[in-house]
Amino acid sequence: MPATTNTSEIITWLILSLIYFGGGDADLWTTIFIIDDLLDWLEHWMQPGQPKALEEDSEGIKQYHAQPYEMADPFDAALDLLRRLPPSSTQQNLNGIISLRPDLEDDLLSSVDVALTARRCPKSGRDYLCCDYNRDGNSYRSPWSNTFEPPIEPDDAAELIPGGRVRRMEEALNAGVDVYRELYYEGGVSSAYLWALDEGFAGVVLFKKTASGAGKGGWDSIHVLEVNEAATKRSAHYKLTSTVILDLGLSSSSIDNLDLAGNLTRQTQSDMSISGFRDSEVEQGHVVNIGRMVEDMETRMRNLLQEVYFGKAKDVVGDLRSIQPLSEAERDKAAHRDVISKMGR
Amino acid sequence: MASKQSTVASFVEAAPPGELSNVVADIKALAPNEVQSLEPAFKKYNEEQYTTVKVPGSSGAVLISAYNALADGRYYDSASQTSFEVDHASQKASNPQSHPLDSPNADLIHSLHKSFSTTASEHFPSSTIGIYPSDSTIALLLVANKYSPQNFWNGRWRSTYLFSPASNTLTGTIKVDVHYYEDGNVRMSASKKVEVAVGSGAEGVVRAIGKAENAFQEELNKAFGALAEGSFKGLRRQLPVTRQRVEWEKVGGYRLGKDIGGR
Repeated sequence: MPATTNTSEIITWLILSLIYFGGGDADLWTTIFIIDDLLDWLEHWMQPGQPKALEEDSEGIKQYHAQPYEMADPFDAALDLLRRLPPSSTQQNLNGIISLRPDLEDDLLSSVDVALTARRCPKSGRDYLCCDYNRDGNSYRSPWSNTFEPPIEPDDAAELIPGGRVRRMEEALNAGVDVYRELYYEGGVSSAYLWALDEGFAGVVLFKKTASGAGKGGWDSIHVLEVNEAATKRSAHYKLTSTVILDLGLSSSSIDNLDLAGNLTRQTQSDMSISGFRDSEVEQGHVVNIGRMVEDMETRMRNLLQEVYFGKAKDVVGDLRSIQPLSEAERDKAAHRDVISKMGR
Repeated sequence: MASKQSTVASFVEAAPPGELSNVVADIKALAPNEVQSLEPAFKKYNEEQYTTVKVPGSSGAVLISAYNALADGRYYDSASQTSFEVDHASQKASNPQSHPLDSPNADLIHSLHKSFSTTASEHFPSSTIGIYPSDSTIALLLVANKYSPQNFWNGRWRSTYLFSPASNTLTGTIKVDVHYYEDGNVRMSASKKVEVAVGSGAEGVVRAIGKAENAFQEELNKAFGALAEGSFKGLRRQLPVTRQRVEWEKVGGYRLGKDIGGR
């Protein structure tokens, strides 16, 4: 490994060594994929500048800053800001940031998760969910009828409306996800959208459920997936990034207002095998693998949310104030320590 | 359409406890020209959030609020009887001057200082209190902060009470704000209005405050449970009624017949 930390020099060295060691007719794409992975690893390992800086504010508390002030990329600042401001007003905050920096609009709209909206598909009479991936201008594509409402230009439609293999998998995935939704959500709306990639395909699976009855509440989950198929088609690499947006609240005689809102994001990836040789079996295999992955992730996140939303919030309040007088708590602890040490003898 | 100035001001107002400097850094990156217009927003934030400052020459922290604001933009501390200037952007105090407490309730305020700070230290591992005359009533303020940015969470408790010696009643609000942001953004806010009659003297007032806060905290803990068992479960179950996970081979919607029928 060269002693330099100059990234471009390392890349050049890597390309040359791969071509040299791989033989003159080394597969160019394999080389590029290897370099891509190595670059990700390098980026992670060789973070330019100091990742952390400690600073004391006037309250005598050391503040951890994720980035030093000089590294002020506006897009990163926008994402950071949205992570700090109240999640229940993400849409308004997003609009506010866009009004300050209209140049960030496209990037922000495609990277920031906001609560989903549902629409009624006139052809099928069923509801579907709207997101950037089934949108063209002000029109949205229904996964049930596979058409845009309101209709769009035929040229655009030809490009954007999936057919063949991708549409077959999309239909099957929507059917499967519909059953999953009924079993876990007992209501709500679900949608799945897929699109082709060079070496596989990508997609998004969406769920939305609004609370009925006392108290307000809403669950929105957004699962973005990417499937890279092996050349042999016997297995594929699945990547999943899942975000759950949760909103809960209640008012009662003893608490005027309790609001608990937020979103959590988790990622996972795995290789899964595809049994079967015929195209239809491969397609079904993908739908099964995707379904299982989404189910696992959602269940894990639901448990995590329970822990974080309720457990953590309660713990922090307990850290702020103790119902039991602290002197009593200290005496109890001392007595407890006493008993433990006596047992030890 | 809101102006840029009011947009950035609203960002400052909504900043979570302990993260104001992060929010300001983000605003600097997005709209550097609007940062100088933030002075009134900083003032509002500090007064609403009971920001604490260290006054040169005195020990301990003093909180800033509308109740201890003076007409000329300075603030005063009734315990040490000093007034001081505050730079709202940096949250630093300077220029202390003597400021004798001038109020018919001065004695009561003095004894309340003792009782309230004793009670506060009994329940809050770290807090700052302030007691100020407000017309014919006495304002009792408390702010407690817990910052743990390395664990991606911060929290703040604010109590505001107005005690009327004439009618022996105590009104006020308790507000709690918690932010958790590890790979996400979770915010909890809870508030409650308090209105009780109190026994006489400083002890009576402070005892009533302790009772009201204990009741609120117990109710809050119960409410977390109610949300978890009620609304949350009603949104998405942990497992289907069948207590079995989904059999994706069966529900994939893929009909063999379709395939045999040719495409």
